[in-house]
Amino acid sequence: MDPYYLALTTVTLASIYGLLALGISIIWSSLGMINLAQGFTFAVSGYGAWLVAQNISTNGFAVLAGGVGTGALAGALIGGIAFIPLYDKPNFPLRSLIATLGISLFGGQCLLWIFGPRVKALPKIFGVGNVHIGPAVASYDKIGSIVCSAILLLATLAWMKSSRRGLEIRAMMQNPEGAALVGVGLRSTAMSVMMVTGAMAGLASVLLSQNYFISPFAGVTPLVKGMVVALAGGLGSVAGALIAAVLIGFIEAVTAVSLGGQYVLITQFLFIIAVLLVRPRGIAGMIEHTRE
Amino acid sequence: MSAPTDTTTQPKAATALVGKRRLLPRLPAHGGASWHRWRYPLTRRTPLLIETEYSPTTLAAQRRLLNPRPVLWLIALAILAVAPPLFGNNSFVAASTNFAMYAAINVIWMLTIGTAGIFSLASLATVGVGAFGAAYLSVYFGFPFWAMWLAGPFFGLVFGIFIAIPAIRLEGFYYALLTVGITELCRVYTVQSQKLGAASYGLFGADGFVPTSWPERPGLVLGYYAAFVVLMLALTLYRAINGQRLGRLLRAAPEKHEAFAEALGINYRVARIQVFLISSAALGGVGGFYATLLHGASPSLFTMDQLLLLLAMIVIGGIGTTEGAVLGTLIVVLFDKVFIGLGPVRLILIAGIMLATVLFLRGGLFGIPEQWAAWRAKRQSERRGAQSGKGGEVMPEDAIEIADKQSIAVRRFDARVKQELRGLISDALIEEHRATEGQRRSDALERVLTFFRSAAVADKYAILAVRPFAEYRIVALSGRRGIPPRVVDDQVFATPEAARHGVFLKRVQDLMES
Repeated sequence: MDPYYLALTTVTLASIYGLLALGISIIWSSLGMINLAQGFTFAVSGYGAWLVAQNISTNGFAVLAGGVGTGALAGALIGGIAFIPLYDKPNFPLRSLIATLGISLFGGQCLLWIFGPRVKALPKIFGVGNVHIGPAVASYDKIGSIVCSAILLLATLAWMKSSRRGLEIRAMMQNPEGAALVGVGLRSTAMSVMMVTGAMAGLASVLLSQNYFISPFAGVTPLVKGMVVALAGGLGSVAGALIAAVLIGFIEAVTAVSLGGQYVLITQFLFIIAVLLVRPRGIAGMIEHTRE
Repeated sequence: MSAPTDTTTQPKAATALVGKRRLLPRLPAHGGASWHRWRYPLTRRTPLLIETEYSPTTLAAQRRLLNPRPVLWLIALAILAVAPPLFGNNSFVAASTNFAMYAAINVIWMLTIGTAGIFSLASLATVGVGAFGAAYLSVYFGFPFWAMWLAGPFFGLVFGIFIAIPAIRLEGFYYALLTVGITELCRVYTVQSQKLGAASYGLFGADGFVPTSWPERPGLVLGYYAAFVVLMLALTLYRAINGQRLGRLLRAAPEKHEAFAEALGINYRVARIQVFLISSAALGGVGGFYATLLHGASPSLFTMDQLLLLLAMIVIGGIGTTEGAVLGTLIVVLFDKVFIGLGPVRLILIAGIMLATVLFLRGGLFGIPEQWAAWRAKRQSERRGAQSGKGGEVMPEDAIEIADKQSIAVRRFDARVKQELRGLISDALIEEHRATEGQRRSDALERVLTFFRSAAVADKYAILAVRPFAEYRIVALSGRRGIPPRVVDDQVFATPEAARHGVFLKRVQDLMES
């Protein structure tokens, strides 16, 4: 087992899972909604990037921008359907969960209807080739994925930390009613959260599509992975999501190398169930009381 | 000795409130009480709650059905039992079989979600495990179909025990997310495993309960009736769990009231896990049936889309009721299997219905009557609130609580009369009253006096002769037997005429202040 390869795979997977998990985690903690339509955002931004590559330019930046932009739009759409009309209604958490599931069924079938069942491939936006970093060999894909997701993650975290909107989002994460009382617009903040997390999913989609194909239901596996990473990390915790992403990426890399690809999900689930049995709110999960 | 009450004019049975609409037919004559002697076998439940009452318009005795639900269930099940094999073509019978099976799954799933309160999305996965387990035993060990039916619940139970372990610790949505993941895990495993038929997309070749020598149509009809029996068994199980001891225990321990239930001595955790395991075994049994019906199992049972369709079924009908589960299943299966010519559009339609249900309805289709009533009550009270400026005799929020609507009208009329009389009171009128004792009075003064005389005793005053022809005082009547009148103030009148005018002044004062 090559430790450098292992480390590199771990970091690549961790960065992509981190993008997905962070989105689900932030939405849960700020909006109180579980967004199971993240998989739909993922699939639709893949198609957005593909359309840009087909019709406008195959330039890497244009394709990335297409994916990220479509992701942000899809996020806004989900927020507009599942959050805005429901957030002050009775039984909001369950109804919004079902609404996002409905959106993912609706969206997946729409994509199937419009684009057909044939899978699409994105151009290699980072080019083809390998880099030697000391003793390790890394393909351009992996380096590009790590760099892009690290940039977006850091940019998001810095934005959440220092900007006015970021402050509003953090206020809403701590206490939505209190935030509304001191003048934070819940709807506009929620829409910006949905757009930012949608953009994250869009980026993850373009990055993963370097190795996988785009299909109407391509979002299911990333959704499940992102969700369980967010669960294991603790819904609502940024640091927990990143730690869990690294751990689960590591487990995936180790399992794929030592046992074989078909055991990846099983070992991951055993790990997550073990984590949740010890810490039911995840590695760094918020206590429910803090949210209420 | 008790106080004399007027029992003769009280009706023997309840009368309906005036203004309530009659949605159900009424049978003539007495006899409601005899229905209370009937019982479902081995239980203490009466099948139909029939009550005798008197018609508010004709006062004729009539019987009314308080719970139409069993009758409607009976009609619906009778239609389901007869209609598809009688009127449907082959594909319709096959779709109906599908409907009955999915309805059974949903009814059992409702036990997990509704009764046990465990938001598990792994129901179809449990069915799949039962189906794959039974099919595996049949394909590799030659189990006959009846043994597969027995093996299904076993596999379901084992899988249920496995996924119940995290359910002990996790709550609500954490568990829901985990079960979505477990379903995906099952799908990936069955797609990749050679022994479970990765090459043929499913494990087929299992034994079936329809004899192979039968022609197509009787085979389909037999399949339909078998699925119908499964549905009936699922409904019976639901009734037995939800309506009996376990269900009662868990109804005392709803979400966020667990501590209270625990203080009462209810071990709600054990009860929840018991219900969860029972429903897992039942779902596994449906899985075993599925395997004998389709001669195998396919990984499509584990796909996210199937899970979403199943969720759409219970959401459309309304989570928490069996009739909701069955109606939702009917709608979704109708779109999914009968309108199959529409292609992906049919699933888009289902998703649209599901979204609309969730966005606009609180409790699915079967929650509509309640939501409509609540909405109407809200609108009515808003309208009453808007008109409170004119006749605020009864505040609008009180008005809906007063059963006797006539008293509201009386009070409103009274207030209007008082308002008009207040306009008549003037110094000239009071002077006229003082000066014209025993003579003909003006129309305005007669009106005021007539109103004063018509008041209830409690509102009236009397004159107390302390010393006749020398000292008179005004007292107020209590209006209640045994409670003496009380002296109102210190005023002393020398003549009865002055005292009568004093009473008049008091009444005028009361009128102006009210």
